[in-house]
Amino acid sequence: MADRIFAGVLLLVTLAYAFIAFTAIQAPFQYDPLGPESWPRLLSVVAIGCILGILWRPDNDSLDVARTTWFRLAAILVLLVAYAELFEPLGFIISTFLFSAVVSAMLGARPARALLFGAAAGLLGYVVCVMLLDLNLPGGFLGELEWGVSAPETQTEPSTGGTN
Amino acid sequence: MAEVLAGLGTGFAVALDPFNLMLVLFGCFAGTLIGALPGIGPINGVAILLPIAYSLGFPPESALILLAGIYYGAEYGGRISSILLNVPGDAGAVMTTLDGNPMARRGEAGRALSLSAVASFIGGTIAVILMSFFGSLLAAFAVEFTPADYVALMVFAFASLASLVGKSTVKTLLGALIGLMLATIGIDASTGVERYTFGIPDILAGIDFLVVVVGLFGMAELLHLVEQQVTGQLKTLPVDKSFVRFKDLAVAKWTILRSSLIGFFIGVLPGTGASVASAVAYGTEKRLCDPEGRTFGTGDIRGLAAPEAANNGAAGGAMVPMLTLGIPGSGTTAILLGALLMFNVQPGPLMFEQRPEIAWGLIASMYIGNVALLVINLPLVGLFARLLTIPQHYLTPLIAILAFVGIYSIVGNPFDLLLITGLGVFGWFLRKLDFSLAPVILGFVLGSLFENNLRRALSISGGDWGILVADYKSIMLYVLALLVVVLPIWLSRRNRSTLAVSAEE
Repeated sequence: MADRIFAGVLLLVTLAYAFIAFTAIQAPFQYDPLGPESWPRLLSVVAIGCILGILWRPDNDSLDVARTTWFRLAAILVLLVAYAELFEPLGFIISTFLFSAVVSAMLGARPARALLFGAAAGLLGYVVCVMLLDLNLPGGFLGELEWGVSAPETQTEPSTGGTN
Repeated sequence: MAEVLAGLGTGFAVALDPFNLMLVLFGCFAGTLIGALPGIGPINGVAILLPIAYSLGFPPESALILLAGIYYGAEYGGRISSILLNVPGDAGAVMTTLDGNPMARRGEAGRALSLSAVASFIGGTIAVILMSFFGSLLAAFAVEFTPADYVALMVFAFASLASLVGKSTVKTLLGALIGLMLATIGIDASTGVERYTFGIPDILAGIDFLVVVVGLFGMAELLHLVEQQVTGQLKTLPVDKSFVRFKDLAVAKWTILRSSLIGFFIGVLPGTGASVASAVAYGTEKRLCDPEGRTFGTGDIRGLAAPEAANNGAAGGAMVPMLTLGIPGSGTTAILLGALLMFNVQPGPLMFEQRPEIAWGLIASMYIGNVALLVINLPLVGLFARLLTIPQHYLTPLIAILAFVGIYSIVGNPFDLLLITGLGVFGWFLRKLDFSLAPVILGFVLGSLFENNLRRALSISGGDWGILVADYKSIMLYVLALLVVVLPIWLSRRNRSTLAVSAEE
């Protein structure tokens, strides 16, 4: 069943992919026998074949995840999204402190230790990454308070490696 | 021959540069640390650390030497958790648990760990020596490859992937297709047409390779760890003072030699890496040394040495097609290939001529890395073993922090953080449903190469598909592709029928 649901979702996505490949993608003029649309068309046809194969003969009945585990997974997901959203506004140190303390406490660390771990992760992580490795991390308001300079903020220069 | 020696000379000049030497040593050390963590394999370690290595702004050869060191070290470190905890870090280490863990339970953990370190060293060294010779040979041969030959090579790569990796052929193939389809997102390089961008400016240049890698191999692994979380601490067996003896090596020397060679050649096959190699080597040795099945599985030193030598042989072997053809031999080398592309280095036959400092520097660093790993591992194994007791509730947030730091430091876009989380959820579902993730990344990395060669081949022929089978090299590769799919099916049929016959008797 789980296989079928997943394959069904994939099928919808692939059908949309195929639809775009067969109708929308078009080069204004081209000299080559294969244009930008040919490869996606080819892929979508083969993929639909594979998905139909799975729908026809699925081999996983259920995900076999206990109810409490689903809760734990949902909780970690919420925390990850929150961490991602707060990463810039709060800065690395505070967001990391909150995230690691809450996660480690949720997964079974004792409260005092979780707090200590969070503080260590936030502070040490910042010192190592920003001061030693010169990486680009959001300082948040702490960055300005503590060192009196504006720490690397959003949309400043991309780090040394640049984009690809 | 002279060419190889000259190349190695160039390579050692690069690798022995003090800064690069330090990176090799650091990479090996960090890799062993990561490999030793329970549940984290080489591929996850390299994936999580790749963006950080990229953002540090090193020259390409240095960054690659660091990553290769981590990859290599993690293959070494994986055995520690296999032996002491009976928890393999990845599929390649499963076979190590079969005889390694019984030895440790018998009170011979020290002997098992040191023996496996020596076996790994021999496997790795044989692989890198073979690689020095085969690599440039294969590159010289591959220089003549036409676009049509490349298409055949890709077909062969995906055929061996589908047939040898994962539980279900259809799912492996679909995984590769998902990767290929993800790779079509962005502007088409030869016509400038936008494909599947839906007007979102962030993905005009395609989905960032690092985002895909960290999402599928970092975040999905994290969710997997949370799902599997066991309450209470895993019990590690103590590392005692016993040590490998010369007698052990004398007993296991042919096993190690055979397994290293098996590992190397399976590693060279595109798509198949350490997991297939160690399983084949273990099976072969079991049939040769212990046909009645008396000692294998109960702590036989040969059963421990075989998968370890094969593991590291395959790790080296998998680098060969990656460096010479631009086709990675395993999931982890697919990530290394993506790393090369990020540095604007096109791996392939011309790399040995155009960027010898990278190709040979990497090879030379693997010679050094092998020695360094043996030296680091024998005395420090107790320290690495202590890492196994790091509770999961600290490990899990650490993985997330590393992944976030790495991804954020590339361009400072917080949207990428949400993207890796989303890809992590997708990867977790794929894993739960027995899709393996390596084909996805292989498809993603090879996507544009596959498409461009197909299009180029057909432009050359003016639209005649016959060009794909016009050359003896392509035909040979298609035959190989067919063999690699048909042979395992035929073998398992035959095994089943002989089993049925013996059951009737």
